[in-house]
Amino acid sequence: MTSPPSSVLFDKGVIRRVYERRVRLALGESPTLLQVEAANAYARLSAITTNLYITEQTANILLRRTPSFAAPLLIDLQPLKKGRYLRRWARRLRDFAFSPEDAIVLAYGSFGVNLTVPGVGAEAVVTADLKMAARYQTNFSVIELRFKSMINDLGSGYSNHSLPQVLTTSDVLTKF
Amino acid sequence: MEKLVVDKDGKITIPPDVLAKRGLRPGDELELVEAAEGLLVYQSGVDEKTADWWDNLSEEDRGKAQTEARRYEFSSENERDAIWNEAAESLEMEAEGDEIDLPAK
Repeated sequence: MTSPPSSVLFDKGVIRRVYERRVRLALGESPTLLQVEAANAYARLSAITTNLYITEQTANILLRRTPSFAAPLLIDLQPLKKGRYLRRWARRLRDFAFSPEDAIVLAYGSFGVNLTVPGVGAEAVVTADLKMAARYQTNFSVIELRFKSMINDLGSGYSNHSLPQVLTTSDVLTKF
Repeated sequence: MEKLVVDKDGKITIPPDVLAKRGLRPGDELELVEAAEGLLVYQSGVDEKTADWWDNLSEEDRGKAQTEARRYEFSSENERDAIWNEAAESLEMEAEGDEIDLPAK
């Protein structure tokens, strides 16, 4: 077991499966294994992690859903705001063949801002997307070089920015 | 794929890493399904967070949740994808106007 991250950002796919797990429960139907895995990872991190984040897009999607499903999730999860240079970093991540959606969630992990607590980004991005997680691991050393280069160019105000680790829902359940 | 061995009493042992990964604890129930392909072990328990959500809903909210759940579950995969792809965020430079500076320390 390793120490859990103090802040995590759930990607939209994880929240979708958590939502769909609840849909299945409301209907008295069996969930899929992926829904169970996401819901278990969400429950585990809710118990051990202080700051649980989502992107603004995920928050906006939940806000349009029925409150009996969405309201409890929106109480647990805080949307990060887009900090300056988030999109610039996301565009650079696209060079590693991340989809626009994956690039932006990874960039939130470094440049997302929670206005209520000091610091920026999240220690970990939690995803159900195994390909995205594998691509990030495989390219991490080059991504890190690009990131440090960009941070240096931005000046001292950005020296605290860092790259998140990327965890799959399966990682969460085996590591913490 | 995990290989399980049936002992003389018909019991099998689930490897510890699988227990951890699936969040299984003593007393949790699994369903054994005899399928055409063989035997499937299916996790039927509900995690604490999902169970709390359901337990804390009023009767009225449970009714609303079930109505929404039926609507959602009977929609097509494309319709569900559309729900979860609403308001996609742009990566373009022109969209950067909504980015904020870090709060002053």
